[in-house]
This record gives sequence, structure tokens and C-alpha cells, in this order.
Amino acid sequence: MREIVIDPITRLEGHGKIHLFINDDGSLANCYFQVPELRGFEKFCQGRPVEELPRITTRICGVCPDAHHLASAKAADAVYGVTIPSAAFKLRELQYNAFFAGDHTTHFYALGGPDFVCGPDAPKAERNILGVIAKVGLDAGKKVIAQRARGQRVIEIIGGKKVHPVTALPGGMSKRISKEEQQEMIIIGDQMVEFAKFTIQVFNDIVLANKAYVDLILSDMYAHKTYNMGLVDENNKVNFYDGKVRVVGPDGKEHAKYAPKDYLEFVAEHVEPYTYLKYPFLKKIGWKGFVDGVESGVYKASPLSRLNVSDGMATPLAQAEYERFYETLTGDRSGHTMVHSTLATHWARIVELVFACESVARQARDEEIISDHVLEPPTSIVGEGVGIVEAPRGTLTHHYKTDQKGFVTEVNLIVGTTNNNAPISMSIKKAAEGLVKKGTEITDGVLNRIEMAFRAYDPCFGCATHSIVGEMPLEVYLHDAVSQEVLQVTRRNC
Amino acid sequence: MKPILVLCLGNDILSDDAFGVEIAKALMTSTPHADVAEVEFAPVAGFSLLEMMCSRKKALIIDTIQTCSGPPGTLHFFPAGHLTPSNHLVSSHQINLPTAIALGAELGLEMPDVIDVLAVEAQDVTTLGVAMTPAVENAVPEALERVKEWIRHQTISLRISTRSEGFMAEESSIQS
Repeated sequence: MREIVIDPITRLEGHGKIHLFINDDGSLANCYFQVPELRGFEKFCQGRPVEELPRITTRICGVCPDAHHLASAKAADAVYGVTIPSAAFKLRELQYNAFFAGDHTTHFYALGGPDFVCGPDAPKAERNILGVIAKVGLDAGKKVIAQRARGQRVIEIIGGKKVHPVTALPGGMSKRISKEEQQEMIIIGDQMVEFAKFTIQVFNDIVLANKAYVDLILSDMYAHKTYNMGLVDENNKVNFYDGKVRVVGPDGKEHAKYAPKDYLEFVAEHVEPYTYLKYPFLKKIGWKGFVDGVESGVYKASPLSRLNVSDGMATPLAQAEYERFYETLTGDRSGHTMVHSTLATHWARIVELVFACESVARQARDEEIISDHVLEPPTSIVGEGVGIVEAPRGTLTHHYKTDQKGFVTEVNLIVGTTNNNAPISMSIKKAAEGLVKKGTEITDGVLNRIEMAFRAYDPCFGCATHSIVGEMPLEVYLHDAVSQEVLQVTRRNC
Repeated sequence: MKPILVLCLGNDILSDDAFGVEIAKALMTSTPHADVAEVEFAPVAGFSLLEMMCSRKKALIIDTIQTCSGPPGTLHFFPAGHLTPSNHLVSSHQINLPTAIALGAELGLEMPDVIDVLAVEAQDVTTLGVAMTPAVENAVPEALERVKEWIRHQTISLRISTRSEGFMAEESSIQS
């Protein structure tokens, strides 16, 4: 038996490793997925004032600093038992939607999109944003750069800095915004909506118009029937910043809907000896291994999951796209029939991009965001708090305990990618089983199609392992399944 | 925006990854030729590198790296075109530096004609903590001298090319 390992080419944060064990006849015997871990996060936080954590936690992930900043601020709000002013809530939500608009844009055009726009079998050198531009046009590249700049500008206005926001703190926000800044954000929001429409058109023209791509999205090789998780508002509509966590089974039935503070009643973590990264699962269902179905506690938390757990989107264009998404993939535009195709996550991300852009345009027009009352200073302490937001990659949980002076004693994080650890492993294995057959030559195209199975999740292992950002450098190790001997190593960046 | 940029990457709470932060702190108040050169610290990668370097003439990136080709604290200097990926010049969710440079050129953005990298061989970039390992900390003074020398060299280069462009423009004007 042979083993293929996909492993990092450098120390880079965010790297993962895939081992494929191959039988003598060339078929797949087994598949393992590993990531390393950054050490000492909890220890580093212990003894620090909890109000420092919203700024410190932005350092653990260069990809989702906004997500950590706001999940941390919400947890710190809860530690002090403070309800933040309405204007502060709206500012945080507006900033967060702007962050989503930028992040989802980057993912589609630079990371996930090339697989479809350029094609899964395109030469690796072309399967990047330059290849996308070559196919879609130079103007698309300029639009992407401009869209990113818009998102960063909103974050700078509200969050104080473009990259690592600093203004959310226990009790609200440390910075008010001016009428002029509001006007600027209104213009930005409208421009974002135009960009969202452009992206819908790109997806229509290049992906949906190509039957082979649609067939690929719907192929069983890229499907898993697991539970889904995501935040929803009071109307069960998708919400990135606040709400309750809703969990829906593969059959579409609601399994749970809980407030962030109750997450430990519903989520537990399984450990495997070959990886530091834990495998969260639904506590009331139980860990049954890497298997699908209503009897397995494995769940997904991703853009696709958020659509699956919701009853729709709270903005009109996004709602129309939501209905088109479900009608195309299930024949039921209500969204009550689950979509289980992993590659449909890319389309779900675009539906969310539309929602984020529309939300920026709408929320920037709310006159309350220029209120002077953006901070309610804490006057007492609870000593424990949980904050949950939806990171672009999935549900992000920050849980802090402090002493009565507010100094941190315990920290627990479940980050977006960690939620998806088991589904990613399952997706890789299923794709590998479908692609690595007797006598299969392990070509770049085969490896890319295996990688597509986890790239759809937009995984951030740097973040999941409490590190920061890095490329997804991988090495593919081919092992003999009997002797464990490494027969082939293929270095890759994906 | 000044034409010469020293862009220090890293993470100030990740052991040796604080190297770039330390260089930035040391240079903030003592940047040579501060009329044309500036130092920035940024915990960024991918597109952000493109956006920060756009409209600059010369750029030096300070980062950490683990090549295992030398002991911790070893300084590696190389042009970005011959990039051995250092720790922040790539991004899992965006683009790497060579792609960023190519994208900038493709989009017609004004990119630096010189992009160099000075990276220190790191010992520990996985433990959260505010202290660098001794070997990497000891490399800071030499790195500072090399950065200052790079700034001086690029400043001269910039002035020569500016004068040359001015002379060419003057010649052209006379001839026309």
C-alpha cells in the first residue's frame, strides 16, 4: 500500500497535511488530514484584563481580525453583563458586513473562483486571479481591488484601522462617526451593491452557463449529508453579527436553536491522535466517527450551512439569489430542501456577498449610527461570557472566564474552520476515493480536484490552530498502505 | 506618500515573528533620508501588500523565514522576484507576493521597480509570547544596519534616476 501526503512546503501559518494511503492495486485505502498548532494562546491570555482581548485576538488570525475582534468584544460585553447602546450595535454590524463584503470578494476571485472560472484542470500557473482576469477581463481585476478598498474604508471609519480594528470594547465602541463619514459609507454601500450585481453576472456567465461545472457541483463525489450550523436573526434569516445559533439536520429538521451562552450544552469536541485540531460535534447526537447522516454528530458551519439553517435573506436582491440558488439545486425555492453539495458553498458565498453589500448600503443610511451614545461603561461584572459571530468560514465562538476584577482565568475558542474539521476530512476522503482508483496516475489535475473538496470551505488552519495567515502550502505524500513507506512527495501551494 | 518604503511584516505576540515589529519600532524615529523614505509595520499579506506598495518606487520587506539553511538569527536578503516564501509573503485566502506584483502590473498600477526582502531565520514562530528567542533578538542590530544601508543606496539610486529623468525631459524640451 502506498501513502500520499499533502504537506506544507514551509513553516507557514495555515498549513495542512493530507496523507493518502494507497493499496497495491492503486486504490485508496485510507486518508488522514492533519494541521499543526500554535502554542500557548490560553496561557498568553491568562492574567490579562479581558478588555485587552478584543485587540489581542485580532493577532491570532490575519484573515479574520474583524471576526475575532467582534466575537471577543461580545464575549467581553457578556463578562461585564453590559448591554451595548443601539448605535454601537449598529456600527459593529455595519463594520462587520463591510468586512464580509471584502472577504467573500477576495475568496471568490482569488481562491475558490479560479477552479471554476479557469477550470479545475487548468494549468496551476493559470489557476489564480491572473487567470480569472484573463478570462473575465482586466476590468474585473480593477473592480476587485476597488471593492476591497471600499470594505477597508468602512472598517477604517468605524474600526479605527483598516486591517486590525480597535474600537470595539466592553460596553460598545470607543469612537463615534461623523455625518460626513456616514455619507461616505452610503456611497460605498451603493457601489458595493453594484459590484455584487457584477459578481452575480460573472457567476452566471462562467459557472452556471457551463453544464459541466454545474454537474461537478452536484456530483455525489462532493456531497455530504451532515447537520448544518449558523447564526439566524429573530426571523430565521441569515445574520453574521448576532442572533441565535440554529442547527438543522440533513433532513432539514431543526435540531437546536440556542443562545451563545448555552453552546457547551450543544457542542463537544472529539480528539484524534494524529492531529492537534479538535473535531467539534453535536453533543446530543454524539460522535459516531467520520460519517454522514442524522445519527452522526458531525456538522458543517459554512456559507452553505448558513443558507441551509435559514429561512432566507433579509435583503431583497440576496433573497432573490437565495431562491434562485435553491430552485436551481433542489427545485424548491423555499430553501427548506437542504443542499449538501460542498462545491455549492462557492455559490452560497456569493449569495452572502450580495447580502453583505446590500446590508452596508442599508445600514449606512440609518441615522442612529451617528449618535453620540456609543458606549455604556460597565459598572459590574459577571465573570464569564460567550460571544458568537459568523466568521466568513463558519461560526466563531469566544468563551472567557475572569476573576471579579476582570482578569482572564480561562479562554476557549471554537473558530470557523475548526467546526468544519470533520466535514473537511470526510470531503477529502470522499473526493480521493472517487478520484484515486486502481492504476490512477496522481496528476496535478487529480490533486487539484481533491483540494477543491476542502478549498470550498475556505479553510483557515492558521486561525483554527491559533496562528495567523499563510498560503495553503501542501505536500502530497504517497504511502504504501502496508509498509507505510513514503513513495512520493508532491509539493504544492493551493 | 514617500517613494521608498520599508514594510515590516510580522506579529508582535508570536515569539520570533515580532522581528519585523522590532525593526519598525527602532527605525520609526531614526529613518535615514526620512524626506523620501518611510517605515511601516503591517500584519498583512496578499492583496494588502499590493495595496501598500502601489505608487512606491522602492520597497524593502522585512519578515521572518524558516529555510533551515542556517542557524536561527541568520539574515537572508533576496529580491522578491527570486522569492523563497517567507512567513507573511503568502496568504491562504488571497494571493502571494509574486502574484500580487504581477497583478499590479497587469492592472497598470505603478509598482516599485525594486522589491527586496530581508528575512531572519526564525527559531520559534508558533509560541504566543512577546519575547523573541535570543538568536533572533541578537540579529536585530545587524538587520537595522543593513536596512539603513539599503535605504541610503536606494535614495541615491532614486536621486540619480530623478535627475536623469529631469535631464531627459529638459533635452526633449530643447530639441522640440
